[in-house]
Amino acid sequence: MSRVWAIAKREYASFFRTPLGWVVIALFLLLAGSVFAWGVLRPGEAATLRPFFNIWWGLLMVVAPAISMRLFSEDLRTGTIEPLLTAPVTEAAVVAGKYAGSVMFLASMLVPSLVYAVVLGMLTEIDPGPIAAGYLGILLLGMLYLAVGLLASALTSSQTLAFLATLVGFMLLEVITRTATVLPERVADIVFALSPNLRMADFARGIIDTAHIGFFLAGSFLFLAVTAVVLQSRRWR
Amino acid sequence: MIQAAHVSKWYGPVRALHEVSFEVPKGQIVGLLGPNGAGKTTTIRITTGFFPPTSGSVSVCGHDTVAASLEARSCIGYLPDAVPLYTEMAVEGYLDYRARLYGLSRGERKRAIARVVERCTLGDVLRRRTGQLSKGYRQRVGLAAAMLHDPAVLILDEPVSGLDPTQILEVRRLIRELAHDKTVLLSSHILSEVEATCDRVIIIAGGTVRADGTPEALLESLAADAPYVAEVRAGEGGGERLAAVLRAVSGVAGVETTPVAGEPAWTRCVVTPHATAPDLREAIATALHRAGGGDGGLMVRELRRERPTLEQFFLRVTGPGAGARAPGPRGEGGAA
Repeated sequence: MSRVWAIAKREYASFFRTPLGWVVIALFLLLAGSVFAWGVLRPGEAATLRPFFNIWWGLLMVVAPAISMRLFSEDLRTGTIEPLLTAPVTEAAVVAGKYAGSVMFLASMLVPSLVYAVVLGMLTEIDPGPIAAGYLGILLLGMLYLAVGLLASALTSSQTLAFLATLVGFMLLEVITRTATVLPERVADIVFALSPNLRMADFARGIIDTAHIGFFLAGSFLFLAVTAVVLQSRRWR
Repeated sequence: MIQAAHVSKWYGPVRALHEVSFEVPKGQIVGLLGPNGAGKTTTIRITTGFFPPTSGSVSVCGHDTVAASLEARSCIGYLPDAVPLYTEMAVEGYLDYRARLYGLSRGERKRAIARVVERCTLGDVLRRRTGQLSKGYRQRVGLAAAMLHDPAVLILDEPVSGLDPTQILEVRRLIRELAHDKTVLLSSHILSEVEATCDRVIIIAGGTVRADGTPEALLESLAADAPYVAEVRAGEGGGERLAAVLRAVSGVAGVETTPVAGEPAWTRCVVTPHATAPDLREAIATALHRAGGGDGGLMVRELRRERPTLEQFFLRVTGPGAGARAPGPRGEGGAA
């Protein structure tokens, strides 16, 4: 466990040692701030952050791959994967550590945005329940996206490729979800059930559904497990 | 400490290693020597557990590198080729991170870092980012990181490549010091490096072990048919006569004579002995003396035996015509 923590801490810290981490945070806060200023903070609008959360899944679709793209790709490119995987650490621990580091970074990125809730709270009466649900949803969605991105990153030594593959994957899923109504009903139901963004919409409405939580956690776990298998696969090649 | 048995490795259809077997006993420094692409790094990566062999097995400190991979990895300190480091980390932070990966407690980490920093003289660069360091310092950081958990076995892939002569001497001294209580397997394509640092040499080429022994033993195997060189004054065109005289000496396999450039009266003779022949210097000197007779026609100004170099040995066993494991005194000196 201490080894997982060591890897997580290193990953987390390295986001702040490279320009990438700061660029991602700045970009995210800029976009989130714009949404807040023009979407939420308008006279006559309801005092909720719902429009905010409704847009965020789109932001995360871009931001999450930017966070996850370097997790393994950089190690593969620079060769640091070799000292890492010849240390007495299991592949599962390496995956868990890198993932934990990236989730910690995502969480730190969300923290400054809490200021919007505070601002809203100063202007008017707010209901903290839906806001908490929205943040939980964002975090869970981000965790799933990061797990997908981590897998892509373990498959290539090119960060650009890892980023694009993840982004295109998310966009494809979104396109399929939006056009699923033309599909036979049974297929469409499956597509809707698999769409993380539709589940996110429930969180944005303030609904905390344990089935949704289960979906995000199980989905993340699945992708992490596949990533560990990918790392192990070099042992069979 | 390290035992490799019948290790073969295929990368898809390409065979990188074939039936490689060797042992490294405790306290020995063994050099893995071979041309680029010979299979050195593959051998090292299998030994460190980075990937498994296609067939055969390697054990380190009694732990199989596949079946008991974590235990085996715990007792290895590894410096990979080109020393990959996290360039955004400071030296101290990097060493601390590596120590954590090896499960060292806070107190142990502090002591371990102090120890390796002193040993590798890194005190001046502790707060510098590893990406800003010179090649020599990077190498030392890599070495320090490999020694943090005080491993019984050190595996160093090309530890001096890219260093300047002063740095090479430094790293060489460090490895020698370490070998007092550690087993070291290092790879190199630099012959003089291996000759200077190692107790024993394993020569790899084309994925097979071509020779294995102490540098002295390897040279001795070559010394058996090392040629003799003589410079003799036989007058202009005296080469034929000289060759006939030398061929008559018992134990001589062949003679080549060439006039010395600029001094036509002098002839340079290269005498190749049979591999089983004893030292022929005396016999050659006697034959030349007798052939000269009383007229003083022949005068010897030089007679010596070529001292074989590891380089010649290397070229011979790794050359295209060389068969697997042909000339080396395999296994000899293995337990030295």
